[in-house]
Amino acid sequence: MIRVDISKCTGCKRCESACSFFRTGRINNNLARMKVLNLYEIGIDGPVVCHQCKERYCDCCPEDAMSTGSLGEVIVSPTLCTLCGVCEKACPIGAIEIFQGFVYVCDLCGGRPRCVEVCTEGAISYEAGENEHPSLATVKKETKRMNTSQKRHSYLKKIGIELRKKWRKSHA
Amino acid sequence: MLKHGYGGRILRIDLTEQRFQIESLDQAWIRPVIGGRAANTKRLFEELDTDCDPLGPDNILLFGVGPLTGSLLPASAYYTVSAKSPLTGILGDSAAGGQFAAEMKLTGFDQIIITGQAESLLYLLVTESGVEFVNCPEYAGKTVGGTTQTLREERKDYSIQVAAIGPAGENLVHFAAIVSSGNRVNGRTGMGAVMGSKNIKALAVKGSRSLEVADTLAFLSEVQKIEKNIINHKEYRKRYSLGTTMLMKDLNSIGILPTKHFQEGICKYVDKISGQKLASKHKVKNKSCFNCNVHCSRYYVVDGNEAEGPEFETLCSFTSRLGCSDLPFALEMNRYLNQMGMDSISTAEVIGWIIECQEKGLISPDDLDGLSMTWGETDKIREVVDMITFRRGIGDRLANGATKLSESFGEEAKKLVMQVKGLDIICGDPRGIKAYGLTYAVAARGADHLRAEPYFELTNRKEEAKKRFGTEKAADRLAEEGKAALVSYSEKIALLTDCLTMCKNIGLCMDILNFENISALLKTGTGIDYSPEYLEKILGDHINTEYQLNRKFGVKRKDYTLPERFQKEPLKEGPTKGSTVDIQRMVNEYYKIHKWEE
Repeated sequence: MIRVDISKCTGCKRCESACSFFRTGRINNNLARMKVLNLYEIGIDGPVVCHQCKERYCDCCPEDAMSTGSLGEVIVSPTLCTLCGVCEKACPIGAIEIFQGFVYVCDLCGGRPRCVEVCTEGAISYEAGENEHPSLATVKKETKRMNTSQKRHSYLKKIGIELRKKWRKSHA
Repeated sequence: MLKHGYGGRILRIDLTEQRFQIESLDQAWIRPVIGGRAANTKRLFEELDTDCDPLGPDNILLFGVGPLTGSLLPASAYYTVSAKSPLTGILGDSAAGGQFAAEMKLTGFDQIIITGQAESLLYLLVTESGVEFVNCPEYAGKTVGGTTQTLREERKDYSIQVAAIGPAGENLVHFAAIVSSGNRVNGRTGMGAVMGSKNIKALAVKGSRSLEVADTLAFLSEVQKIEKNIINHKEYRKRYSLGTTMLMKDLNSIGILPTKHFQEGICKYVDKISGQKLASKHKVKNKSCFNCNVHCSRYYVVDGNEAEGPEFETLCSFTSRLGCSDLPFALEMNRYLNQMGMDSISTAEVIGWIIECQEKGLISPDDLDGLSMTWGETDKIREVVDMITFRRGIGDRLANGATKLSESFGEEAKKLVMQVKGLDIICGDPRGIKAYGLTYAVAARGADHLRAEPYFELTNRKEEAKKRFGTEKAADRLAEEGKAALVSYSEKIALLTDCLTMCKNIGLCMDILNFENISALLKTGTGIDYSPEYLEKILGDHINTEYQLNRKFGVKRKDYTLPERFQKEPLKEGPTKGSTVDIQRMVNEYYKIHKWEE
């Protein structure tokens, strides 16, 4: 899985640009499979990306278009997918999004994530293999009625507030 | 139709009629100006009634990006805002980095042209399909942060980027700023007041288009060369950890750190207010503009106060320039000014000027409604800045800027305003950096270093100086010789950087951009042929356009100068001791190079 350490994130979005560029040849954050948010109100920046969560909330596709790859990544079959949006609604952190007729979710670039390669700060790293994947059960409850952008915001803010507490403690 | 690099479209917004129009961007029109600043100035040159009231409906407010803005090119993250300046009455423009420009780029508009005046406060949401006019009376008086947060919450979309004004812009403070990405400021020349006069609280952008370059692999390879040059640069680590705040100690060590309003060039307590101190004590992480690998900006937390920044100018403005030694106070002012939307340099100048004039007995408290100030009085400064923001009491007069305020006082007091063409001088004493002095004198928007950023004169590269500018003296900061040639070269690279809407730290201070690599970037990025020779020619042409536009605004040869202090009064101690600026010699030479008539 891709691990994120927001304490090191500067909000540069190099990961997001690389994700979009190396997969589509174009730059557009909507085409990226990870989305960086800048929470100016609390000084927090960070990418939100699929954690391949323990619960596999997205694996509820009525068309059976969702499967799990050998790296644990989410795979969406473009032939079976009808763009119904059930998976996007199900993801508690907004890591799956439909944009202009395509489902965008991290597929770990086949084991060599380009986002990790371009991050100069060590804010994201890739851990191969069957590691423990986090549970998003608590987040799921909190982001129930939110849209995808709000879910990402809420999730990042939750982690961000903890980091900010640490800053305030060490820089009192 | 422009397909690569450029969005290929222009958005015209008429606030009076609340209508908009989308036009396609003509290649023949844009090629000679590339984009960003030059495209904005060309628009003003063609369409602005130069006699208009800068705070009236006829002024044109422009937001511009370049063909490679928001691409993989590091630090191509700026946007330029231009209009007639309410502070100076001449060409006004100001650029800012952060995240706004990259998002604006994805709307597919290379330039947003705003005219007219709305009847009541509104915000504009620009998307691929045009603009939505949203009345927002409840936003009145909101800070920049509050505006951004509320707007995003209301739209339920956190990828929206917002360029907003704070109370200072609403109150038409003549040096009000536009602020985006939390703390990224279009600070100079009062663009926030122009926005306020038009009743726009915020310009929000949300893009959904893609940026495509002409030759993907070739462009990528050019970008990777630039990235490598940045990472391998000898100043990289220093810039990474300190950003521009490294200049506090650097300038102090050569005796040109503005102290007590340029009366001194050495600040004895610099270690208490330095970038190093800030980094070791209050910084919690690095911050970055879109897609940059320098990450030179910083986020700090101190005593319950937190923000991004400050950059050197704000740090120096609220420490040594005003005789203050309290670093947390400067950090508090950084946040306050960014939230209220006000330029730190012009704010500090009006305060510094009053303090010096009162110290010299040129202005009495009675002249200023009982206001009396001395160096380092942080409580008083805090109060005065607040009065300026809200135009409260004497703050109403101070809010017009030091130059206009000085008009009601005697000649001696007027001379002490550190300004050129009405724009307040940045923090860098020209007596010890002569090319910067020349830049202040000739810059089209008034006293400004970013029009040329001739950092080269501080790098001691004598051989390179001889090769590029015909004399080793170009690399000698105390010499006048060769500086007109240095500035004439640097102003073109600076302009080019502004047209690509890139960062000057990379373009000029780190000396990474040149006509050759930009030619390759533009060719592979846009598919349009930009030879180095052609670039040099159009940039020269554009410097002339700015000069001609300013002539229409009434700027004369006599306005190309520096305050008398820098020409006549030498600094009394340190490595710049004894030096003054022979500004006319350099300006004459500069005029000759440009073939301008006296």
